[in-house]
Amino acid sequence: MKLFKLILLCLFLFSNAYANTIYELIKIPHLEIYNIKTENKLRYLYAKQPFTIGVDNNINCFNSTKKDLEKKYLIIEKNLSRYPKDFLKKINLKYIVLCEDLSISGIGTAGIPDNVMKTLIVDIKFNKKYFERVLHHEVFHIINDSYREIFNEKIWSSFNPLGFNYAECSTCTKKIGLDTYLKTNGFITEYSRSTASEDMAEVFSHLMYGNLPEEIDPILKKKIEFIKRGISKIDKNFIL
Amino acid sequence: MIEKIKASTSEKIIFIFILILGLFSLTSFLLIKDRCLFVKNYDPEKIKFEDPSNIAILNVGCGNVIIELYPEISPNGVERFKTLIKSKSYDDVAFHRVIKDKLVQAGDLEFGKKGNIDYGKIGTGKSGLGSINSEIDKEFDFSKGSVGLARTQQYDTEDSQFFIILQDEPLYEGEFTPIGKVIYGIKVLEKIKYLDKSEYVLRPDFINSLRLFN
Repeated sequence: MKLFKLILLCLFLFSNAYANTIYELIKIPHLEIYNIKTENKLRYLYAKQPFTIGVDNNINCFNSTKKDLEKKYLIIEKNLSRYPKDFLKKINLKYIVLCEDLSISGIGTAGIPDNVMKTLIVDIKFNKKYFERVLHHEVFHIINDSYREIFNEKIWSSFNPLGFNYAECSTCTKKIGLDTYLKTNGFITEYSRSTASEDMAEVFSHLMYGNLPEEIDPILKKKIEFIKRGISKIDKNFIL
Repeated sequence: MIEKIKASTSEKIIFIFILILGLFSLTSFLLIKDRCLFVKNYDPEKIKFEDPSNIAILNVGCGNVIIELYPEISPNGVERFKTLIKSKSYDDVAFHRVIKDKLVQAGDLEFGKKGNIDYGKIGTGKSGLGSINSEIDKEFDFSKGSVGLARTQQYDTEDSQFFIILQDEPLYEGEFTPIGKVIYGIKVLEKIKYLDKSEYVLRPDFINSLRLFN
């Protein structure tokens, strides 16, 4: 029996079905297929072992338990299935990598989008309260990276109150609160104030998740229209 | 006077054993040396095809590989493949990238020709006909034997290089342009030379010829 268990363990440890193909396609090691038979052709992959990628190996993520994966996959799939296949093709998103404790240069993050590799890495253990909305936030970064000219940051920034300036980068500020403001005043969350791109992603994610504040100020109204117009330029059939 | 010494029974047994061992070693050596042994060489003339106009015969060291092309799935890809076959451009071109039990790749017309191989650039060569667009929208089952056009990291960079997969690769769907499938002779491809430590093969095997059946 012990021998049988040992053989089984060896098979589990050394099986690398599709791991090489996945690496060849998206340059992330230690991944396996979770599910690729989805309606919108998104391919869900999971970390079988921790992996390290990026410039100077600054991106790290760890493998999850089967139970956690099963639980979170349902939530992720439910949310991402709202993006049709054609839309996903236009924005360059195809692979969803599921792992936990995702960090970039030591800073924890919900997701890392890479429109060149058509990949979104998702931390399945990220903040439970905002998990679903944050998925759409990360999808927006893919959209934004693919269509910089549509989501022009200068035009976007011109909507803001006079004298307002964003931070140098999304991690250069302590404004990281994700609670939706009751009184918006041009911004939907505290994190919206970090950078123009994060501001756009926050508006988009609220639109997708359907939890816009009850009262919307004129600046936020302009921002919402801007996002909706931009998305319809990419795909007129994708209605926000 | 020289006395004739008779071999004892045990000596005779040892002699016979050594003889058998020698014969066995020689046979094994010859068998191992002939890597094409037990590989069936299909004669396309003896096979009835549904659509002979979309059959290509790839001839390599161990025999014929018969490929059915799918113009309805990737019209431009198949057209490019046929154009290059008709001009005999693939003859004497190396299988420059071979991964054991995974894939074989050939078709670098610029740097992969026999007698003119450039190991520093092989895999980056072009046909001179320009790139064609990827045709990846139609559903296709990338099962063992599927033939696809190779590309760079970017889409729409397909040209003359093609690969044949030696195992199922479901993730290739939507990534690569499928142009056909091997219907006979996949074992021939499993005998193509590969290296254990590198995907790119030094002193590779070559395509003898690639022809359309009709």
